Amino acid sequence: MTAIPQDAALVRITDLHKGYGAHIKVLRGLNIEMKPGERVVVIGPSGGGKSTLLRVVMGLEEIQQGSVTFAGKPYISAEGSKTRIDTEQRKKIGMVFQHYTLFPHLTVLQNLTLAPRKVHGVSRSAAEDRGRAILARFGLDAKADAYPSQLSGGQKQRVAIARALMLDPQLMLFDEVTSALDPELVAEVEAVILQLASQGMPMMMVTHDMWFARNVASRVIFCAGGVVVEDGPPEQVLGNPKEERTREFIDRVFHIKG
Amino acid sequence: MELDFSILLKFADALALGLWTTLKLTVLCVAMGTALGFLIGLARASENALIRIPASAFVEFFRGTPVLIQLFWIFFCLPLVLGVELSNLASATIALTLYMGAITSETFRASLRAVGREQMDACVALGLPRSVQILHVILPQAVLRAVPTLLSNCISLFKESALVSAVGMADLMFVGQNISNNTARPIEVLTAVACIYFIIAFPLTRLVTRIEGRMLRKLAA
Repeated sequence: MTAIPQDAALVRITDLHKGYGAHIKVLRGLNIEMKPGERVVVIGPSGGGKSTLLRVVMGLEEIQQGSVTFAGKPYISAEGSKTRIDTEQRKKIGMVFQHYTLFPHLTVLQNLTLAPRKVHGVSRSAAEDRGRAILARFGLDAKADAYPSQLSGGQKQRVAIARALMLDPQLMLFDEVTSALDPELVAEVEAVILQLASQGMPMMMVTHDMWFARNVASRVIFCAGGVVVEDGPPEQVLGNPKEERTREFIDRVFHIKG
Repeated sequence: MELDFSILLKFADALALGLWTTLKLTVLCVAMGTALGFLIGLARASENALIRIPASAFVEFFRGTPVLIQLFWIFFCLPLVLGVELSNLASATIALTLYMGAITSETFRASLRAVGREQMDACVALGLPRSVQILHVILPQAVLRAVPTLLSNCISLFKESALVSAVGMADLMFVGQNISNNTARPIEVLTAVACIYFIIAFPLTRLVTRIEGRMLRKLAA
């Protein structure tokens, strides 16, 4: 693992533009600098580009303009109509999605070991040992040989997190990972993420759960209309926002929550 | 006229022989046709138009014309084109294999498409190279999804194979027609033949329903 200089950004997003077709602009010149060890929670109204931002950072989307660097090196850039993505850099980032996206034809353990074995050439037994250890940490040891269809939503999402961790990511992306869960299953997934946070895992996440955002974030970014509207510590952005648009959004969210 | 099913007992051996021919032909054409359909299904999903368009043309032709005419065409025209005589078993096998290939290619294509965009996202996020995505994630799911429909395709082929009697193959249908002509007992004989087809097809259709339920539950994750 290459050492990251203390002053360098882990992720630097510069003037990011992303749209679909000619008329739909999702991101309109977005700038974010994420330092090593930060836990960034992105909040904002739907359609504001939060999930798109995470998908871009994962290297899942084409961009029209701008660039992303990772650990001080070029990662994604728009060159003319093409998007250049350094796939070696991409391997250092892990992502968990709203709808689990486990491989339904593979057991839990096979889900975990597929990428280490096929991408990194780890032996089957070493990958399985590692997989079982991570599952045990997440309280899923009994589910190693189960198929995803036999798991609850909360278990599936914990498996998805375990699967991403198998590759030792230097950054984890969580895209509304509790939004599809029944309310009583949210806590078990959030507990796993908090566990990772306490171990210093850098993460960037989109969530609608403001309580969780406050607990996990070291920094909160309010995104609306495809740009960063406000960026600061959680106490500021969630508690006492400086920007009028952030304040309106926070008031509305907490009003709905009662 | 009174119905007399007892005459069938005299022809039990002939019917059994016909059934054996039908089963052999079905199994042969299912095996080869499904393999062909798998390849054509992949070809139709190809991004290369030179591969995709001929494959699509093949499928549309065989899906859009009556099997009986395909059978006649291969039986009568293929020897003219190739300059070799084909046995009626060979031409029936070719015709039904091509037909089965066209039908199952649609099954495979639909199941390939059913493997969602999100699965691809997960593959990219895990850094899986294209070859691993295809071999370990997409194809296994597509094949599992295809199983119930493929079994339905097999049952259809089993019944449609009765058409080969029209080119003189001594299958179950052909034997039945012969007996019915010779005995002037079409109702008894054809009813019995229909029952034989049904006795074989019915458990298979029940099996399809059960497997379908299991597959859907498994792949719903």
